[in-house]
Amino acid sequence: MEELPRIVTSICGVCPWSHHLASAKACDAVFGVDIPPAAKKLRELCNSIAYTEEHILHFYFLSGADFVMGPDADYSVRNVIGIAQKVPDIAKKVVRCRHLGTQMLEIVSGKSIHPVTAVPGGFSKPLQPEERDKMKPMATEVLELAKFSIDFAKKEIFPKYIDAVKTLGVIKTGFLGTVTKDGTMDLYDGHLRMMQADGSYEDFEYPEYTDYIAEHTEPWTYLKFPYMKKAGGFSMNLENPKGIYRTNTLARINVCDRFATPLAQKEFEEFRNTFGRPVQNTLLYHWARLIELLHAAENIVRLLDDPEITSTDIRKKVEPRAARGVGCVEAPRGTLIHDYETDENGMVTNVNLIVGTTHNNAPINMSVKRAAMDNIKDGKYDQGILNMVEMAIRAYDPCFSCATHDLDGSIPVKVDIVNAAGEIIDTLCNL
Amino acid sequence: MQSLDAMHGDIVVLGCGNILFGDDGFGSYVAEYLQNSDALPKSVAVINARTSVRGILFDLILSEQRPRKIIVVDAIDANRPPGEVFKITIDELPLNKIDDFTFHQMPTSNLLRELKEYCGVDVVIIAAQIESIPEVVRPGLSDALAGSVPVAAEEVLKLCNRSSERVC
Repeated sequence: MEELPRIVTSICGVCPWSHHLASAKACDAVFGVDIPPAAKKLRELCNSIAYTEEHILHFYFLSGADFVMGPDADYSVRNVIGIAQKVPDIAKKVVRCRHLGTQMLEIVSGKSIHPVTAVPGGFSKPLQPEERDKMKPMATEVLELAKFSIDFAKKEIFPKYIDAVKTLGVIKTGFLGTVTKDGTMDLYDGHLRMMQADGSYEDFEYPEYTDYIAEHTEPWTYLKFPYMKKAGGFSMNLENPKGIYRTNTLARINVCDRFATPLAQKEFEEFRNTFGRPVQNTLLYHWARLIELLHAAENIVRLLDDPEITSTDIRKKVEPRAARGVGCVEAPRGTLIHDYETDENGMVTNVNLIVGTTHNNAPINMSVKRAAMDNIKDGKYDQGILNMVEMAIRAYDPCFSCATHDLDGSIPVKVDIVNAAGEIIDTLCNL
Repeated sequence: MQSLDAMHGDIVVLGCGNILFGDDGFGSYVAEYLQNSDALPKSVAVINARTSVRGILFDLILSEQRPRKIIVVDAIDANRPPGEVFKITIDELPLNKIDDFTFHQMPTSNLLRELKEYCGVDVVIIAAQIESIPEVVRPGLSDALAGSVPVAAEEVLKLCNRSSERVC
């Protein structure tokens, strides 16, 4: 069992910290141990640092080109290189802050990728006071970029695309995210909140997720379709969806009542006053992502100012037993669930994971269909229209490395192209 | 410190692959071998990227201090004898093999092309022919690939030394 937090970081490598921490939490639950407060804070610190790296990466590198270069820009310039050429000063700040994130993770845990420091029962390495002092100016610099990012987006990006925000890929769904007992948004710990499309919600503890989430499969994809179990069924019909919910930034901002850090709280209030609750506009994932970036950066500063962060009481002894344990964190791409069972020797007998992008499988498919139906008229399309459809996908920041269930390195795909009458006019296949 | 400082080496070697899936972890083992080698020139940085190469490449693209050369070490299936080590460039990467390379992270091959074409970084791939990739978690290389680790490491060192000579 104790090997799992180190094994799961290799599931894909895109968000190793999220898997590492969810796994460590599941192990804590299996062993029945409450970890020391300082260990929880060190884990949360690493989670927040990893969040800043991930959200900066997505906003500036993965989706930024759509907005900075424009959705109609040619693919050859609508990419990370184009951003570097068009806004070089911002690109420099972005790279520097990602480097600072890497450096901070290396200080706290020794490794920024494939981490090993979260262990069942706590954390394996205390943070030295001099290490904390070295990190403080780095954290301040990352916070400055987070503040700049949301100001920049609100002034230069979102106003230009307000029409697209109102329409592109908009669907009506429920939402899932993590909150504390008083409803505060939390990226590391709390309980789960499932919100219906009408805004009503239920809170539940991690092990109860199987009472609230079921999984549907389709023959045309390796990716499963989680859905709200209490809906009694699953349908991606755009006009009458059934059981569909979303995770990731828009979900987290919808389900929560408040943010814990002051600057993010201020932005949250503006967001909620402007758009209401729950918000269904898919492109607002980006706005919510920048509020989370601000929160994560503030949280790093807050944790480094906490005297307990350098405590050496960071690990409790664990003993193997037969048990089930469920650990969850909010991964950048959505709620991450690790569910383990062990025998009396602590050997793993069962594992179930539901990862962020998997929750969003059905919503992504629905948003793509919505965007395609709204933008492609009379069969006419161009690169700009097709990219608008892709923008509906990118808003979700999907990552399929750990969301799919095929591992042989090839992707057998068969695509039938049908005309308006449903007749197959061409088939593309690599089988 | 494993990645941040290494980014600014004159030559950066990236060991890629998942050590939990047999031969797929080949690049990671070569990176470990090189990190323990006394023959590694000081101007060469070796990063054991394993399955996290994507973020490293993104940062390299936008960095002001890019390396002159990137050497990617990875395992692929190119229908050659198991364990054969061979050098290819991005341009020589067969289109039907891009999926194999992108197994670790989808945009990797595109990022390598962008590094080469738009950033002027020389990109070389040292590849090894896999024997097999297990369908379930099974750490450890096949005998064929285990014997190829020092061979690939030697190829990397030759490239590094040749490159250093040109600079001088």
